[in-house]
Amino acid sequence: MFGSTLFIISALLTLGGAFMVVASKNLVHACVFLLASLFGVAGLYATLGADFLAAIQLVVYAGGVVILMLFAIMLTGGSQDLSNKYGLNKIPGMGSVRTYIAGGLSALVISLVVLKILANVIKSAQVGELPEFTTTVEKIGTMLLTDHILAFEISSILLLGALIGAAVISRPRKG
Amino acid sequence: MASYNLDVYMPVLILMALACITVFGALFIGMFLRPSNPTELKQTPYECGEEPIGSAWSNFNVRFYVVALIFIIFDVESALMFPVASVFKKFVDLGMGGAVLGSFLLFIGILAGGIVYCWKKGDLDWVRSYQVSETVKKED
Amino acid sequence: MNSVVSYFSQTEGYQAIVKTLSELLGFDATSLVAFIVFGAVVTIVVTVLATIGGLGTYAERKISADLQMRQGPNRVGPFGILQFLADGVKMILKEDIVPRQADRFLFNISPLLCLLGVFASLAVVPFSSGFTLVNLNVGIIYLLGVASIVGIGIFLGGYSSNSKWSMLGGMRGASQIISYEIPVTLSILAAVVIVGGLSFGAATEAQGGLPHQWLIFHNPFTFIAFFVLFIGSLAEANRAPFDLPEAESELVSGYHTEFTGMKFAFFALAEYIEVFVLCGVASALFLGGYKVPFDLGTGAIFSEKLGLHPMLAKNIGQLLQLGAFFTKALLLYYVVIWIRWTLPRLRVDHLMVLCWKYLTPIALFNLVGVAVWMYAFDGQSFFALIAKMGAAAGGHH
Repeated sequence: MFGSTLFIISALLTLGGAFMVVASKNLVHACVFLLASLFGVAGLYATLGADFLAAIQLVVYAGGVVILMLFAIMLTGGSQDLSNKYGLNKIPGMGSVRTYIAGGLSALVISLVVLKILANVIKSAQVGELPEFTTTVEKIGTMLLTDHILAFEISSILLLGALIGAAVISRPRKG
Repeated sequence: MASYNLDVYMPVLILMALACITVFGALFIGMFLRPSNPTELKQTPYECGEEPIGSAWSNFNVRFYVVALIFIIFDVESALMFPVASVFKKFVDLGMGGAVLGSFLLFIGILAGGIVYCWKKGDLDWVRSYQVSETVKKED
Repeated sequence: MNSVVSYFSQTEGYQAIVKTLSELLGFDATSLVAFIVFGAVVTIVVTVLATIGGLGTYAERKISADLQMRQGPNRVGPFGILQFLADGVKMILKEDIVPRQADRFLFNISPLLCLLGVFASLAVVPFSSGFTLVNLNVGIIYLLGVASIVGIGIFLGGYSSNSKWSMLGGMRGASQIISYEIPVTLSILAAVVIVGGLSFGAATEAQGGLPHQWLIFHNPFTFIAFFVLFIGSLAEANRAPFDLPEAESELVSGYHTEFTGMKFAFFALAEYIEVFVLCGVASALFLGGYKVPFDLGTGAIFSEKLGLHPMLAKNIGQLLQLGAFFTKALLLYYVVIWIRWTLPRLRVDHLMVLCWKYLTPIALFNLVGVAVWMYAFDGQSFFALIAKMGAAAGGHH
């Protein structure tokens, strides 16, 4: 019973945060709502039993990426612009209100059809009860060291590339 | 036993709810207890007795951003190292410690190389070294 | 799974309550009773830690007075011990001023974020083997994650005040917190390599009660790792000598310049509770946590020698464990306060240099050293190796 409560809270947090990110006019507010949304995603991971993933989501996303985004907003002066100077319909490429209504209705119809198809698929593959509270960390660690050792090492090279790229980009231009 | 699965997270939610209740509750109760006389002087930001000139955000230094970038890289690295570190003991007990140690050291070595690169290129300095040399050139 | 609920569910009374409630309500009441027990214990834990936070302010003033050869607060209550309550009452009666150009929403949210991060970290602090609120399997990472939320709260506090001092304090505070998370994480990784698990329960159970069984004396690398962790924790909590974000003589009051009354009280409370939590974490990971010497904590001795009821013996063991944990954590707390009033503040570029050019390479070196030690000596501690060598030498005779 608590599982469904946790799920509902996490889902509300994710969806509400995501909606407010799009709807808020202030960029820094949008970042804070993004933080709430990422918290909700961590809760969703926890509902699925992926405890390690939920904790890493908190550490890397909520604790790192959001701060990075806030610093980036400071760097580019996005916090000064407090109002949405461009209405959506003033930019020609964004279409008009009619476009959005037609697009939204068609998305609704298509998703209903797809879900009807998927429901038949899902009904046949019943998911049983979640197993005992197992540690996903050890499984991930074992797999990282045995099956996916190459991915493990390549990810370090990927991170090295990201580090060097970030350092190069953020250096001031000469002259 | 499946219900125990997620009951683990109950205290987390309860604590977060308690934090929200504490903050909003104390502020709400305070609303009745505290005075509220907003004067012009109280509303201006504090500037040690002077009038604040200009907006609060003058020049942002890119070094904050560089620090955040380097931090994110190392954060993701530590996120990858946590599962490996927690099963390291098991592999040593099984006798495969050498191979695991090798891969672990390779991982750390590559990222240590990254930090050495940033160090040598001066990204870790709070004040960039060539800014100092530029001012020296101007004084010539 | 270890938690308060699983500890109490060993008693017969608990099971009886669950059964009667299930019959009463019609559905399985395990979750509901667990919720009620968790709620009650959470309230107790939060009250106790808020009191410790408040007494921390009092202790700071008294200890600093001692170090500076003056009296400190001694009017309110015996020896001035109720000073923190008087401060709390004062704060709640102060006017709540929101500056005109401040970002109202973020201004109100930032104390909440700080307090949220600190409260959420209380869920995994290992007070004792039975009374840990919940022993998450990923407790250590979870703690690191919610400690970063405090950094966001500080940054938003500085940003939303829209004043030059606060902005600078907030930026410096956030970059300080995120920088020092790296040496802290690497030192914790060194401990995790030896322990072999990511939960605080596993980390504490891997150590013994006597000092030579603590992780700090396991090998020279963990010895250094403890000090790196301690210094990093000081910087994480914005304590001197790393308190540049709230530097009183430079930035007026840094990121919480514009916050008045209760909001400032929440920032301060969050800081003091966070210091205690970080001291508790350091003592749990490296100083043996709640382990009592001579295995008294399990209570088995009491039920064997004294013939007490097993549950009562266990409870006595739990109380001893609580005592051990709080003694170690409060000793570290005293050291933290002592350091604040002894060392001068670090300049901001020295702070960053210390982190990235000294602590991070040292922490990486520690991690490598611990991994090599684990492989070479099969994870035995230094003292165990000496004992083995002594036994081998004795056997030769």
